[in-house]
Amino acid sequence: MDFVSESFATALGLIAARDGEVLGAVRTSLGCALASTAIAAAIGIPIGTWIGIRSFRLKRAVVTLLNTLLAFPTVVIGLVLYGMLSRSGPLGGMGLLFTPTALVIGQTVLAVPVVASYAVSAVQGADARILPTALTLGCGPVQTTLLLLGEVKFAVVAAVVAAFGRVISEVGVAMMLGGNIRTYTRTMTTAIALETSKGELAFGLALGVILVGVALVVNMAFNHLQQAHR
Amino acid sequence: MTVSTPLYELEAIQQRRGARLVLDVPALTVRAGRIHALVGPNGSGKTTLLGILGFLAHPASGALRFAGERVDWTSAALLPLRRQVTLVQQSPYLFAGTVEANLAIGIAHRKLGRETVRARIADALQAVALSAYARRDARALSQGEGQRVAIARALLLEPRVLLLDEPLANLDRKTTSVLEELIAALPGPDRTVIMSSHDPEHPRRFGCEVIALHDGGLVSAPVRPAEEYAPWARCTA
Repeated sequence: MDFVSESFATALGLIAARDGEVLGAVRTSLGCALASTAIAAAIGIPIGTWIGIRSFRLKRAVVTLLNTLLAFPTVVIGLVLYGMLSRSGPLGGMGLLFTPTALVIGQTVLAVPVVASYAVSAVQGADARILPTALTLGCGPVQTTLLLLGEVKFAVVAAVVAAFGRVISEVGVAMMLGGNIRTYTRTMTTAIALETSKGELAFGLALGVILVGVALVVNMAFNHLQQAHR
Repeated sequence: MTVSTPLYELEAIQQRRGARLVLDVPALTVRAGRIHALVGPNGSGKTTLLGILGFLAHPASGALRFAGERVDWTSAALLPLRRQVTLVQQSPYLFAGTVEANLAIGIAHRKLGRETVRARIADALQAVALSAYARRDARALSQGEGQRVAIARALLLEPRVLLLDEPLANLDRKTTSVLEELIAALPGPDRTVIMSSHDPEHPRRFGCEVIALHDGGLVSAPVRPAEEYAPWARCTA
């Protein structure tokens, strides 16, 4: 218990002191996670909606693939992208490896299946009368899709929140593509891994507390949004 | 288009649900400017046929002609057809938001001015005796009110064909009376109404032409010319 209470005390101390290293890791984590989540939402929502609405021969296989990608190990994605972004890789000339951009790319790849898969579920779980109603009112494909998404907006927002949770808490991609460079690509999760490997368990757990706190704030904001619209 | 002009012509239309044949109509002609009652027991294929007539469900086989033109079941070809035909489902779906917002959905693409839209919505709500409901939450309405809002939403589109799926089912007497009066006044030179019902009294009360279905197939039924009935004789003359 001493260890836990010491960790909480350390976490509060770091927050109160506005520790530069901690704030840097929080800033990098939040910045990359928000950017990758936004890009993943822009890609994943249309993909998921399209899959959810349309009927095609391999639909079940595509949905199964998306669901499998939800559990894809982050280090494997990190490894594949590392191979592509490293100097000898096809995208090596862009010099992106160990930059926040590489981190955002990796996290986007992680988040797209989350958003798309949840969006498929949201659309498939929507009231079956929505599409025929929109169509019989003479709505075109864009208006019909927007009406449908409007009706399942909370499920779609939940998909985005889930994707945010996936990327802000992952460590494999951040470590392999970001390189854990202090004040540049060090995120909360890579900092926790580093501090733990150094034996600074209390400091690592303190960062963990902050990470959970960030996740809590995001979910509280989402709940507040839901309540406000009901 | 005159009242005797065929509006819909169905040839060997079949619809399947899985391997099961749920609709089998060898030939059917629906004339314009009248009210038609689609009658039959539950599961007889009324809703399935309405879905096809509303261009919402592609038949498994057969040909459908609308106003003399063979229907091409592609998205691009269906959009202009759907803008002429509107279906009000038995349990209509009202979108989240106000009654006014629900009514505005179907005319959004017409790019009308805000005041014009408001005025048309007011007229449509007045037609269903819900004038004071524009700002109400559509999801907080009773079943009967929801049914009337859905009909107002459909009327606002000024459709050439109004398809009504069991519009009078499970409604209280007052709402039934309001809707019966409204439906009776709907057919005219530019509007055809096809209404499904499993109430055998409806064709007599409305003086409809009857399309009778049983187990997905057409059955012979007396076809009553609309001129025999007073309420809309003026519309079909």
